[in-house]
Amino acid sequence: MSEQIDHLHDRPDLAPGDEEEVRIGPRLLGYATGLGLSVLLTATSFFIAGTDLVWQPSIPVALVVLAIAQMGVHLVFFLHITTGPDNTNNVMALAFGLLIVFLVVGGSLWIMSHLNHNMMPMDQIMQMER
Amino acid sequence: MLGKLDWSAIPIDEPIPLIAAGVVLFAILAVLIWAGVKGHYPYLWREWITSVDHKRIGVMYILLAMVMLLRGGTDAIMMRAQQTVAYHSNGYLPPEHFNQIFSAHGTIMIFFVGMPFVIGLMNLIVPLQLGVRDVAFPTLNSVGFWLTATGALLINVSLVVGEFARTGWLPFPPLSELTYSPGVGVDYYTWSLEISGIGTLVAGINLVTTVLKLRTRGMTYLRMPMFCWTTLASNLLIIAAFPILTATLAMLILDRYFGFHFFTNEAGGNVMMFMNLIWAWGHPEVYILVLPAFGIFSEVVSTFSSKVLFGYRSMVLATMAICIISFMVWLHHFFTMGAGPDVNAIFGIASMIIAVPTGVKIYNWLFTMFGGRVRFAVPMLWSIGFMVTFIIGGLTGVLLAVPPADFLLHNSLFLVAHFHNVIIGAVLFGAFAGYTYWFPKAFGFRLDEATGKAAFWFTLVGFYVTFMPLYVAGLLGMTRRMQHYDVAAWRPWMIAAGIGTVLLAIGVALQVLQLFVSIRRRDELRDTTGDPWDGRSLEWATSSPPPAFNFAVLPNVTGEDAYWRVKEHARRQDLDKREPDYKDIEMPRNSPTGFVCAFFATVMGFALIWHIWWMVGLGAVGAFATFVVFAWRDHDEYIIPATEVARIDRTNLAARRAALDLAGIAQ
Repeated sequence: MSEQIDHLHDRPDLAPGDEEEVRIGPRLLGYATGLGLSVLLTATSFFIAGTDLVWQPSIPVALVVLAIAQMGVHLVFFLHITTGPDNTNNVMALAFGLLIVFLVVGGSLWIMSHLNHNMMPMDQIMQMER
Repeated sequence: MLGKLDWSAIPIDEPIPLIAAGVVLFAILAVLIWAGVKGHYPYLWREWITSVDHKRIGVMYILLAMVMLLRGGTDAIMMRAQQTVAYHSNGYLPPEHFNQIFSAHGTIMIFFVGMPFVIGLMNLIVPLQLGVRDVAFPTLNSVGFWLTATGALLINVSLVVGEFARTGWLPFPPLSELTYSPGVGVDYYTWSLEISGIGTLVAGINLVTTVLKLRTRGMTYLRMPMFCWTTLASNLLIIAAFPILTATLAMLILDRYFGFHFFTNEAGGNVMMFMNLIWAWGHPEVYILVLPAFGIFSEVVSTFSSKVLFGYRSMVLATMAICIISFMVWLHHFFTMGAGPDVNAIFGIASMIIAVPTGVKIYNWLFTMFGGRVRFAVPMLWSIGFMVTFIIGGLTGVLLAVPPADFLLHNSLFLVAHFHNVIIGAVLFGAFAGYTYWFPKAFGFRLDEATGKAAFWFTLVGFYVTFMPLYVAGLLGMTRRMQHYDVAAWRPWMIAAGIGTVLLAIGVALQVLQLFVSIRRRDELRDTTGDPWDGRSLEWATSSPPPAFNFAVLPNVTGEDAYWRVKEHARRQDLDKREPDYKDIEMPRNSPTGFVCAFFATVMGFALIWHIWWMVGLGAVGAFATFVVFAWRDHDEYIIPATEVARIDRTNLAARRAALDLAGIAQ
């Protein structure tokens, strides 16, 4: 058991930017693929926003989907987030970040939409002031 | 040329701040001249100011915290004295001065006492406990410290040049907007916290990286000492929460400087958004402060009970649970703002739930002590004092988490008593416990016991005499931050609190005396073994004070309580007599980057407060240039040769072996 742990510890996990691959060719290919996909997704977004080829109400949904895909491309090709066992820390950090953003942004929206819950509706206040 | 700054900024008509500032300036000048005459400047510059050694930076953080504790404590004494005498009278502090004092007291105690104290202890101890040579980013560490010091400096400058905020320790709009606070007070607040906030964020990133990436061989996550776990949780919270503070204050700055209307009453601004955002940072902040304290108590209780920490895994789980849940409770700071019952109920329940992991911890400490051979040294006294005090504070907290009760107690002295109960009872007691516990590690001699015990008892009793009356006054309806009052029923409680403050002040004075006495008696109190308390974790496995490289040979950890195992092993096997295989050690070079960068940040902050735009540019360019110069450095490491490492380590091992021999005979 302890040997197993030592073995795991001997192979430290990688930070974003730390690459095991040292040859320049494959790394360049990775970045080029990422750039290509990003440009494609961005161009598609601009195209979709102004087109009348698709059903109009679907445009915002399409933009959201494209934006999320863009984030995914950046995470995989530029920030090197993978599902490999050497990447646990990065995935955990990403999950923690997403959780906090969800809690704070979601919580704020919920709280702020409840701001005037205990207030009289505006027209009644106007009525009283009259 | 000088923006808003002119001679009217010096409060010549107010004797109190002027005399205070005069005394402080005189003391600083005296120290500077003394250091100059004695020729200490080259030493200070070389060994401390430019140091990137995590131990030195930790010590400087703690020193900053202790000096600022005196400043914040003086504010506290002035406030309590004012409320003691201000019955049917105006007391001795005019309202605008009183308002500045309570604002400065809160700001200083949280940002420049609590934060640097816990960050200092984490800096000092965590790399040692993990068995490594330094933190992940040594120079960045120095930058973080000096930026924190910049914030503290700017706040203290406000005492003489201009004024401080009169808005409370969190500058709630619309009061903090330009319309109602046209002076520079709020600007002093926002810019000091923006600058020191960057320092804190940098420290957080550094410590998280250190814990995640730099553990010694065999130090798996579940073998880390509890203090390392709470450090990880606390610094994760720093990384997640401090950007919220920075962004919120930046929005307030935009409102004040450029006529934006994020939080104004007019033009679609929303004041409540500020409350929402500031507390989304503010509640995690409470746990940023208290989690390291929990870690310190875990170490202390386990060491002084000579037992393994009870329920280590449940402790880890509780710490991480607090880390997450602390981001789900922030609305309980503004239950009264008008949200509906479902919002209030959900956040109220979440606030009560967070008490559960905290309760788990209390039971774990109690069971650690149960059946142990408890030694009542000073750190243990602080820990036991904490447990009793914190339970009371925690229970009043659960009471305040009930929205209907909070509607009655909101902004009353009951609330003030509650948060002092938890912050003094946990954070400050924890900081003092850690300070006494790790002092011998940092300096090579223990702190004097007798004065330490006296300081503990005065502080504990003083705490109860000060803050229990405030609970009563709060229940009698007294609100916080009152410059004077006319209700006879409150009077006796204010007088009692005033007496308690005297006891607390004696406690603080005794701690200063303790340091003085200990330095005088340092030869008697010398710790030659590096392990004065019969410790259990790796910081005790090296000499006191540790060499620059911490460990001559990086330890190999085989289980929890790493150093305890080494000692048992040594006792069983008649000591490991083999000479380790010493190698050259690479250590990071000292760098003035942090100090120079903070110097320019101070210039920039001061210029921004007073609208001196050319100076803002100068500071910004200077700070940026410092970073560029650092980024283009050629070599940033120096080598300590193996022979030197061997020489230092042999003397250390000799003392340690002698001590272990004695222990072997005693058994």
